[in-house]
Amino acid sequence: MELTTQIGGSVTDGLAYLGALTRLGGRAAYFTFVAPFRGKPLRFESAISQAMQTGVGALPILSLITFFIGLILALQSAYELRKFGALNYVASAVAISMTRELGPLITAIVVIGRSGSAFAAEIGTMKVTEEIDALETMAIDPIHFLVTPKFIAMIVMLPCLTIWANSMGILGGALFGVAQADFTLVRYIQSSLDALFLRDITTGLIKSVMFGITITAVGCHEGLSTGAGAEQVGRSTTRAVVVSIFLVILVDLIFTALFFFVSER
Amino acid sequence: MQIAARHLDKTTIFDISGDIDLATSPQLRKALLRELRELKMPRVVLNLGAVRYIDSSGVASLVEGLKASRDVGSRFILFGLNKTIREVLQLSKLLKIFEIYENEEQSVAT
Amino acid sequence: MEQTNRAPTEPQAMISLRNLRVSYGEREILHGISFDVMRGETLVILGGSGSGKSTLLRTLVGLERTSSGEIWLKGKNIAAISSQEMDEIRKKIGMSFQGGALFGSMTVGENVALPLREHTKLEDSTIEIILRLKLDQVGLSGFEDYMPSQLSGGMKKRAAVARALAMDPEILFFDEPSAGLDPIIAAGVDQLILELKQAFHMTIIVVTHELASAFLIADRMVLIDKGNVVAIGSSEEMRSSTHPRVRQFLDRIAEPAVSEELDYLQMLTEEHRHPGR
Repeated sequence: MELTTQIGGSVTDGLAYLGALTRLGGRAAYFTFVAPFRGKPLRFESAISQAMQTGVGALPILSLITFFIGLILALQSAYELRKFGALNYVASAVAISMTRELGPLITAIVVIGRSGSAFAAEIGTMKVTEEIDALETMAIDPIHFLVTPKFIAMIVMLPCLTIWANSMGILGGALFGVAQADFTLVRYIQSSLDALFLRDITTGLIKSVMFGITITAVGCHEGLSTGAGAEQVGRSTTRAVVVSIFLVILVDLIFTALFFFVSER
Repeated sequence: MQIAARHLDKTTIFDISGDIDLATSPQLRKALLRELRELKMPRVVLNLGAVRYIDSSGVASLVEGLKASRDVGSRFILFGLNKTIREVLQLSKLLKIFEIYENEEQSVAT
Repeated sequence: MEQTNRAPTEPQAMISLRNLRVSYGEREILHGISFDVMRGETLVILGGSGSGKSTLLRTLVGLERTSSGEIWLKGKNIAAISSQEMDEIRKKIGMSFQGGALFGSMTVGENVALPLREHTKLEDSTIEIILRLKLDQVGLSGFEDYMPSQLSGGMKKRAAVARALAMDPEILFFDEPSAGLDPIIAAGVDQLILELKQAFHMTIIVVTHELASAFLIADRMVLIDKGNVVAIGSSEEMRSSTHPRVRQFLDRIAEPAVSEELDYLQMLTEEHRHPGR
């Protein structure tokens, strides 16, 4: 009996949390698509500087990580494939796993670590120092001022980063292909491209957009619900990272399942 | 705020009435800068006799007018200031910076 | 519970509170507050920690929701208006927060200019002049390009006041203006409040627990205790008040010690309760 109450409580809490994220996303969507036509212009400059931080700033570390991931994928698939003497399938194995799954996912995780946590820390600090209250007393909506530019930046930058991550992953695979599987670089890339359908790339990109929305919503929500005191900012930041990783994987599962059943028909 | 311009020989007189506030000061600013920067009138006179209230943006617009007049070598003159407006300019330490007269005759003659 | 007897239709009242109640969750913080703030006066809201004075201030600027009662401000009951209407009222009020609440990522000048950039169609050159005028009024001429982190505590408060003044507000709110400042710097901030009051005939509402500061700047005072109005009156009336809670607060007498041995025993042994804040 107690267990069911507990489960019920957790489910209710979880749904309430998702509800809060949805409201936040909804308000940001309002400020992106509706408010500009009602005399409240979008804060483009803020969105662009946010995009630079989120996007360009992440390139070096993301490149390195996805290059390694591509190489790891090549090694792992080669471990099976060489039993069948099918090492020339390494290219397609890497390309498909990167674009459909690991490119978007690894990108999301790097961005959670760099930007999702930063959103929670930035907004949380502003909450603690009464800067959010100050915005409200100046009749400036914090969602319009702070959150909406972050949504726009993330929705634009995550797919871009994902495309970059896919390419770096394929390059990582190519290192193995050229060194161990008698590929030339050009031939490796050619067979990667041959293996890919446009659908593989678009499903990855759709996922990455959803990841961007999820990460921003969680980071900003955690920041805005920071309690009083500096130590609360740390808590919010940690929660933003943990909850984002969980939700990104949940969203990944939902969309992967969706694409699976849709493409079956 | 209402604003009307009269042109005398080498002088423009603006008769202003109502409130100079956030909503209306851009209009005043535009009129002043046009007269000074584009038409380069040697003397621009503001009749503030019918102005009830001026806020910071109004004061700032007057300062911009004064600055523009200095840049083109024109004279920028205020007259007809009521007590409130004098007080506002006093608080902004601007009362001594503007050229201020009691009435139109002095403003046009000197 | 002592309350004022003013009629709700006081002609000169800038703000009228009528039986205002505010709760955080289950816990009620303000238990029915009623008083008026006159146009052009400086009203100081006094009270100890946890008296509810800060909650009262936050409610007045629309940061906390009321659970019942009315707040009449500029002819509107802000307890029952839409957020658009509230935003219009907020453009006519200024608030100086305890720590300044300046935006750390912007310069002092950008902080002061922010409300003007967000809410007006003024040219940048006009805004630049306004922000310099405002910084001059608070004694911070030449600091527009500084970052807030480069300012001392007192200067941060002054910059916050300049930002609060940016839109030429009719009402200015101060939350603990002297908190965290040394006595000399705090006196400077009090002086600034006095100057603003004399110069602009603004309605000023100050929340503080600093008695010296309160008696210096106040026209009238309200003493809040445990979420109720204990007393309201001019500085002289407060000074000569015989109300025990007023005397206790003004003479800074600590809470009376538990006298009865039985009470003391009970205090030591009673079942644990969650302490109310």
